Amino acid sequence: MQKPKIAIYDFTDCEGCQVKLIELKEKLLVLEKRVDIVNWRLGQENNKPGPFDISIIEGTPITQHEIDLLKKLRKESKILIGLGSCATLGGIPGIINKSQRKKWYKKIYGDNYKPRGIDALPLSAYVKVDFLIHGCPVDKNELIRIMEDLLAGKEPKYRGYSVCFECKQANNPCRLLDNPLTGETGKPCLGPIIQGGCGAICISGGSPCYGCFGLREGAEVKNLLKVLNKITDKKTIDRYFSMFLNKVEK
Amino acid sequence: MNNEFIAKIEGHGNLTIDWKKNQVKLNIHEGERLFEGLLVNRTAEEMHWITPRICGICPIAHNLASLTALESALGIEVNSTTVLLRDLMQCGQMIQSHSLHLFFLSLPDYLGIDRGTELAQKNPEAFKSALALKGISDEIAKIIAGRSVHPTRTTIGGFHKIPTKSVLEKLLKKLKKTEQDAKNALILVSKIDFPELKVELQLAALDGSKIIAVSSNNIKGRKESPIGDYKEVIEEEVRDYSTAKFGKYRGEEMLVGSLARLAVYGDYDKKYKIDFENPFYNNLAQAIEILTYHQKAQKIIEKLLNNEIDKKIAKPSKNPSLRGIGTTEAPRGGLYHEIHLNKDNIITYANIITPTVQNLTSIEKSAKSLLEQTKNRSKKELERLLVMLVRAYDPCITCSVH
Repeated sequence: MQKPKIAIYDFTDCEGCQVKLIELKEKLLVLEKRVDIVNWRLGQENNKPGPFDISIIEGTPITQHEIDLLKKLRKESKILIGLGSCATLGGIPGIINKSQRKKWYKKIYGDNYKPRGIDALPLSAYVKVDFLIHGCPVDKNELIRIMEDLLAGKEPKYRGYSVCFECKQANNPCRLLDNPLTGETGKPCLGPIIQGGCGAICISGGSPCYGCFGLREGAEVKNLLKVLNKITDKKTIDRYFSMFLNKVEK
Repeated sequence: MNNEFIAKIEGHGNLTIDWKKNQVKLNIHEGERLFEGLLVNRTAEEMHWITPRICGICPIAHNLASLTALESALGIEVNSTTVLLRDLMQCGQMIQSHSLHLFFLSLPDYLGIDRGTELAQKNPEAFKSALALKGISDEIAKIIAGRSVHPTRTTIGGFHKIPTKSVLEKLLKKLKKTEQDAKNALILVSKIDFPELKVELQLAALDGSKIIAVSSNNIKGRKESPIGDYKEVIEEEVRDYSTAKFGKYRGEEMLVGSLARLAVYGDYDKKYKIDFENPFYNNLAQAIEILTYHQKAQKIIEKLLNNEIDKKIAKPSKNPSLRGIGTTEAPRGGLYHEIHLNKDNIITYANIITPTVQNLTSIEKSAKSLLEQTKNRSKKELERLLVMLVRAYDPCITCSVH
C-alpha cells in the first residue's frame, strides 16, 4: 500500500507547534515510517507539489499570498488540518482587529510602509477545515492521538469535556473560587467553557486559562459570564475573551 | 530563487541576487503580527504570557526579557532563587534552540542529508545525541518553566511554582548522563570544514547592564554602551522588501548570537580555532555553547540544592518608575523589551528589538562578500552556498517580524 502523502505548511505564526512536532523525537521517526512527508519547508529542502492526502497547516493566513496558498492547498488536499491556535482560532495575532492595524502599521513602520498583513483570522475564515488540532502550543499527546486516528482512516474526535474536568484530575484548586488555604480570592478562568485536551497545563503551572483550545461543544458561555461578573469587571472579562477567542463566534 | 521560501530556516524569506553587482537582498515575507501594538491596553501580568508567542523556538527568552522589563518598571528586585531558576531556564533555552538548529536545520547541509531525521540512518550515534540534547533541554524547560514551549510557571517577581529539591536532583542526574552527548555534538561540528569567508562586522553581546561590541577583525577592542541607550546603539531601518526591520550597530553591519558571545566573553576552550570574520563559524560556536550551557545548568542546580529555596514572589516598590527595559541573551543574540505602564499596570507602550533584526543587515553584507570572494563556482553552487550562509546565521524570521 502506498503511504499517505503529507504536507506540513506554516503561515504567519511563532512556529512553536512545529517545534512540538519535532519534540516527538523517536515518535516522529515512527510517524515518518508510516507516511511520506513530501512537503515540509521547515524540515527539509526537497519539497514536492500537491496533491496531498493530508495537509497540516500551522499559523494564520494573514497575507494575500498565504490566503491564496491556503485556497490552493484546500483544492489539492483530501484532508486539511489546522495545527495550533493561530490556525484554528486566529491565535495571539488575532488580538488585533482589522480596523486597528492601520494605526499600528504607521506607529511601528512609519508612514511610507506598504503593509502585507490583512487580518489575523483562522483558516476556517477562508476554507473548509476538516479537523482542528487546538493549542498554543499544541499538546504532544493530542498530536499523537489525532495523527493515529487519521492514519487508521478514522475521523478524529474532539474531546467531549472541558479543561475544567482535566483541571480537577490534575488536583488543582479551582481558580474561580476563593482559596481558604492561601487566602487568595477567586480569579477569572475560561476552563469551564474550553475544550479539554491540554491537561490543564497552564492552570497547573499557576497561569490563567485563556482558552487556546477553543470553545467546547455546548459551552455554557452565559453561565460562566454570570460567575465572572461576580469576580471581576467587564474590561478584564473582555481581555480574557480577546486573548484567543477574539476571532471566533461565541 | 525568488519564488520559493528558503527551507530549513524559521520563518519566510528568500534571496534576490544581482549577479552583476554581487548584491544580495534578503526579502522577508512573514506577515506582520504587530506585537508592539497588541500589547498596548493589556495588563502587565499578560505581557510575559503574550510575548513568548513571538517565537516558538525561543519563547523562554521573550518571557525573561518581558519579566525583567516589567520588574524594572515596577521597581521589583527578585530573590536569588528566582535569579538561579531563570538562569537555568536560559540554559535550557540555549540547548533547545541550538540543538534544534544544528541537527535539524543546519548540519544536514554539511552531512549530505536533507531532513534532520535522516541522520538516524547516516550517523545513529550522532542522532542519539541530538535527541538526548533536545530531550534534556525540553525537560529543563518543563521542570522550571512548566512547559517545553511557552512558559506557564513564571510571573512578575518570581515563580508561581518551584520544583522540589528531589525533582532538581533527578534533573541533575539526567544532565550528568547527557553531558557526553553535548561533547559528541561538539566533536561532530568541530570536524566540519566550513566554507571560506572574510567579513568585517560588529559582533555584539550583552554583558550585565552593557552592550559590548567588538570588530570581527579585532576582538580585543571593546566598545561599551549602556543598555538604556539601546535604541541609539541599534538603529532600525524599514526597507520596502521586508516586513522585518533591518538593524545596525551605530551605522555598521552587526552580528549577534553564539559567535558574537564567544568573541565578547572569550569563555571557551581555545583549542577550537574560531574565525570570527567568518559567520559560518556560528555553527561551531553554537556547538561550543551547547556544552557550555549544559555544564552551567549543572552548576546552577548544584547551587540551588546547596541553598535554601526561597519561594517568595517579590512585590513592586511604592513609587515605581513604570518604565522599564528588559534584556536577555536569547539563543540568537541580544533581545530587548521596553515597556511603559500606567498607574493601573496597563501597558501604554511597548518596543521590542529581536536578535535577528540585528543580524539581517549583516546577512546581506556577508552574502555580498561570499559572492565576491568565491571563485570558479557555478551560479547553482553559489546559490547553494548563499542558502547555507543564511542558515548558518540561524535567522529567526518569525522573531524579526514580531
